Amino acid sequence: MTEIFWVRCPKCKGRFYCDTELRYAGVDLICPFCQTSFDVEKGLETRTAPH
Amino acid sequence: MPKDLGSFLTRIRREFPRELLDVKKPIRPHMWEVSALLKHLEDQGRFPITVFHNPKNLLDKDSAFPLVMNLFASRERCALALGLPPERSRLEMSLEFARREQRRVDPKVMSEDRAPVKEVIEKGARIDLRKFPIPRLHHMDLGCYTTMPCIMRDPDEGFYDVTFVKCMYKQPRRMVASIELPHLRRIFEKYEERKQPAPFVTILGHHPAFLLGSLALTEFGNDDYETIGSYLGEPVRLTPSETWGKDFLVPADAEIVIEGLLPPGVREICNPFGEVTGHYQPQWLMPVLDVKAVTYRENALFQGIFSGHLGHWILGTIPKEGSLFNALKKIYPHVTAVHLPVSGCGRFACYISVKKRREGVAKTLGMAALLNSPLLQWAVIVDDDIDVFKEREVVYALITCVNPARDVDVVENVFNLFTTALGHRKVIIDATRPLDVPFPERIKVPEAALARVKLEDFLT
Repeated sequence: MTEIFWVRCPKCKGRFYCDTELRYAGVDLICPFCQTSFDVEKGLETRTAPH
Repeated sequence: MPKDLGSFLTRIRREFPRELLDVKKPIRPHMWEVSALLKHLEDQGRFPITVFHNPKNLLDKDSAFPLVMNLFASRERCALALGLPPERSRLEMSLEFARREQRRVDPKVMSEDRAPVKEVIEKGARIDLRKFPIPRLHHMDLGCYTTMPCIMRDPDEGFYDVTFVKCMYKQPRRMVASIELPHLRRIFEKYEERKQPAPFVTILGHHPAFLLGSLALTEFGNDDYETIGSYLGEPVRLTPSETWGKDFLVPADAEIVIEGLLPPGVREICNPFGEVTGHYQPQWLMPVLDVKAVTYRENALFQGIFSGHLGHWILGTIPKEGSLFNALKKIYPHVTAVHLPVSGCGRFACYISVKKRREGVAKTLGMAALLNSPLLQWAVIVDDDIDVFKEREVVYALITCVNPARDVDVVENVFNLFTTALGHRKVIIDATRPLDVPFPERIKVPEAALARVKLEDFLT
């Protein structure tokens, strides 16, 4: 089962989620709504997957 | 005539015209318009094979490649693909699928100049994946994805593994290959350990029996071309690839073949993508595909799956039902049917009917099913008078026969590949009537009356 975390795009404010492996992978995320690349820390939210 | 996608569609048009919808109006697959049309049809309860004759490509220009969607969105069409009559599309088809899983048919190698898929060959700077009508399906999808089988060859033993893998368009000669399933991942990791690029091929369209055969539950080390021949009912015709020649054979009767290399240690972002659960798969890192050659037929068709919808679910259902039925029969011979319903995405739930002779059998079968098919999260066991292919009857059993205090078992701390609200749990529900306490009998119309009263005598 994949563990996820939610992010919010700093540019368009669109929300999407990522696998936890991306939390500290050192790569920029890509917003699916506006294609903006951004650092994880700048978009981090606190919601997680159900356990 | 060797089997290919075009010949199958010709047969459907001729013999089952209601099963196919030709869309002539221009449509933009990369702007969610194909999935919008399929969703409108779905909302009307219609799931025809849909051929988009004038799709736009990723440059928003006319594409030369008609787009074929929804081919697997009916069990009856899957039966036809396997050469069975449509009325044998229930458990009978699944058992035939399991039978063919055991057989092997040697592929046939043919020269490049006779291979249909080599009618057009593009290499190097001539390659531009934007010419294809690659769909973007759901609102949060990161990009446009191909959703067809991919092929890798084991570097040690030389067998070919064929598995559905989605690939996201990235650049004119670059994709991201979402290699998640264990067989291809294992082959890829072998190359990575040697720090070598891994040859990788995706085929965009073939006869549906080829695609169904690629889903057979074979073990690692099996040569999938041989197994697929068993489903086609004839040898898979292969031809040398453009990039590796005879060292990597590709299906000669495919519509489109994309050849490329997965460089070791390179990952790029892909997803979100609307997956089989009906949820988005999260954004993550996956290997990159550097495309080296693209070959296709003149008048090639581009085939796709409407992921997370009926066709995708049915594709999961058929390969598992037959082998699960056979496995459960070995444990308890009075199992009468097995069905993986599309409401469980064709993977996560199974309904098992059994002629129960003693208590405890249902849960034993539930545990066996969950072990046999690791993707399963729910196992529901019903009596043999419940038709597991009619969900209304299964729900009737759940509502009237289940005492949650004794009939529902939650197995904690087990692995589930796909994320659902169950998390790390699986559930077994015994929805059979109890034998050890007084319990009402199910109503029925007398058999003699049913035999005596013919519907046609009264309605004509």
